[in-house]
Amino acid sequence: MKKYSFSMAITIVLCMVLLGLCMGIGSVEITAGDALKIISCKVFHRPLPASIDRSTVSILWSIRLPRALTAFLAGGALALSGVIMQAVLQNPLASSYTLGVSSGASLGAAIIIVTEFTFPVLGRFLLPVFGFAFGFGTVLIVLALTIRFDASMHSNTVILIGMVISLFVNALMTLVSAFAGTHAQQLLLWQMGSFSGKRWYHTGILLPVCIFGLILLLFYARDLDIMSFGDEQALSMGVNVHRSKLVLFLLASLLTGITVCFCGTIGFVDLIAPHAVRKIYGSFHKRVISMSFFIGGAFMAICDMISRTLFSPREIPVGAVTAIAGAPFFVWLYLRGNKR
Amino acid sequence: MRHGSENVKNPDPERTDTAGVYAVSVQNLHAGYGSREILHDLSFQIACGSSTVILGANGCGKTTLLRALNGSLSSTGRIQILGQDLAKMKRKEIACAMSMMSQISSVYFSYSIRETVELGRYARSRRTGLSSHDRDMVDQAIEMTGLGDIQDRQISQLSGGQLQRVFLARTLAQETPIILLDEPTNHLDFRYQAELMDFLKSWLKKKTSMPDGTEVNNTLIGVFHDLSLAAGIATDMIFLKDGKLLKQGHKGEVLTPSILSETYDIDAASYMKETWGNFLQELGDPDR
Repeated sequence: MKKYSFSMAITIVLCMVLLGLCMGIGSVEITAGDALKIISCKVFHRPLPASIDRSTVSILWSIRLPRALTAFLAGGALALSGVIMQAVLQNPLASSYTLGVSSGASLGAAIIIVTEFTFPVLGRFLLPVFGFAFGFGTVLIVLALTIRFDASMHSNTVILIGMVISLFVNALMTLVSAFAGTHAQQLLLWQMGSFSGKRWYHTGILLPVCIFGLILLLFYARDLDIMSFGDEQALSMGVNVHRSKLVLFLLASLLTGITVCFCGTIGFVDLIAPHAVRKIYGSFHKRVISMSFFIGGAFMAICDMISRTLFSPREIPVGAVTAIAGAPFFVWLYLRGNKR
Repeated sequence: MRHGSENVKNPDPERTDTAGVYAVSVQNLHAGYGSREILHDLSFQIACGSSTVILGANGCGKTTLLRALNGSLSSTGRIQILGQDLAKMKRKEIACAMSMMSQISSVYFSYSIRETVELGRYARSRRTGLSSHDRDMVDQAIEMTGLGDIQDRQISQLSGGQLQRVFLARTLAQETPIILLDEPTNHLDFRYQAELMDFLKSWLKKKTSMPDGTEVNNTLIGVFHDLSLAAGIATDMIFLKDGKLLKQGHKGEVLTPSILSETYDIDAASYMKETWGNFLQELGDPDR
């Protein structure tokens, strides 16, 4: 760990600087000095200097800051979820969507959008709550079926049942989409992912979930290390594989589910961040977990910044940016690894 | 080791100091995969301090038996480890009493050799980190397997034989009085096979401290395909055929051409005479 401490600290600082840059870049230019003044005045409840325009304050504090932070946290949450799935399933290509959480969440959201169902108590949380409930429900079905067919929850069984249920739920989703009519575009945009319109309450929900996920995952870091060698070896070394798998799958589903229902389906971050971290810092999970969170977060914040500035004022779906940037990067990482 | 004994007291009390219990006691064991039963009604005991080799044809259930003993495969019947019911033991309790080196499989993620060996301390160390005793055990395991000079190398860069030694080191770092080995010499060259055998023989003469401070004579249970290696390390043997116990006992009593013929369905006497006899003849005087 000590060997990597310095480079890990540098990387975390770099990720924070990138996050700051993402907040500053946009159609309205905000200098670093102004941004720091605005943030410090807001945080410490001090009066704002008269030299700073009120609209600048509003753009930075009410729009860019929560949006960039939400993107960062969503990227971090997806990366953590990817770390879990890859280690537990002993498959470097497994993703946080393997258990069908995004398919389920998309179906839940689609039903709400198409039926125009309302539930006043939930207000603006209606879509995320239903998305999350459907996503989590799908994961529970996948896990229940896996345990039913294979009590030891072998990785191949989990992947296979996850795939089958995802395909089935996707088919239902297509069926619902066929009746979308005027809502088709809204549905499509939701599925492609976006951080547009994200406010402090989104950040406020994602932050505790991410902190909880990080702490729980660091607690399970050694279990992940051992489980990545296979179930039999993990059992032999004293890991309660069945319990650890259940806890970790549910945690991965929580992290992915909360992200998908707030921001839509955004791919590649969960795949790339853990891969990149393993190439740089090795596979020891105490390092992989913390660094994947920061690198995944920074990657998502940059992709979101690109999505809103590349064809400004028109915004493109962030899922498209992560895929366009992520696919070649992943191929490069993979080939680089093979050359070694 | 006695077949089907109701009494699990060790018949040879000089070979153990753990209140006269067996290292492993198995009664009416049935185990398999899904609905396919591989092991049928096995009963035997293994004394502390012994070295028991399991022999049998391919597919007869040798690896399945090791998995069942280790609790990584669901089974019916009764298995006791150092006098405790396996079914009632927690995973960490099992891992403090018994470790298993499986046949090596693919390595999906790369760790350094030292990191891999440190994982063997999982059951005995705290989550917060390794103690100085944990580090000493890791150092010893790395030194004993001759990996000291390359301990920072990534395991993805190792040959099959080196990887086998890393997993052996991790098994040793687990600090258990009972070790299960599944074909441990598979990827090892002649030199490392000899070194492993020498090491195991010296390890068998020692004792291991359990977490409660009890000293237990080291016990080895292994699957070897090479009969000469098996004969070299074993004090006792178990012969399996089609998932059933064919024969068990001290090596001198059961390692006979007739039992080998029955186990492997070949004329063992003729085969051994032809191959081993010719080989030993060709090798000639070992002092030349």
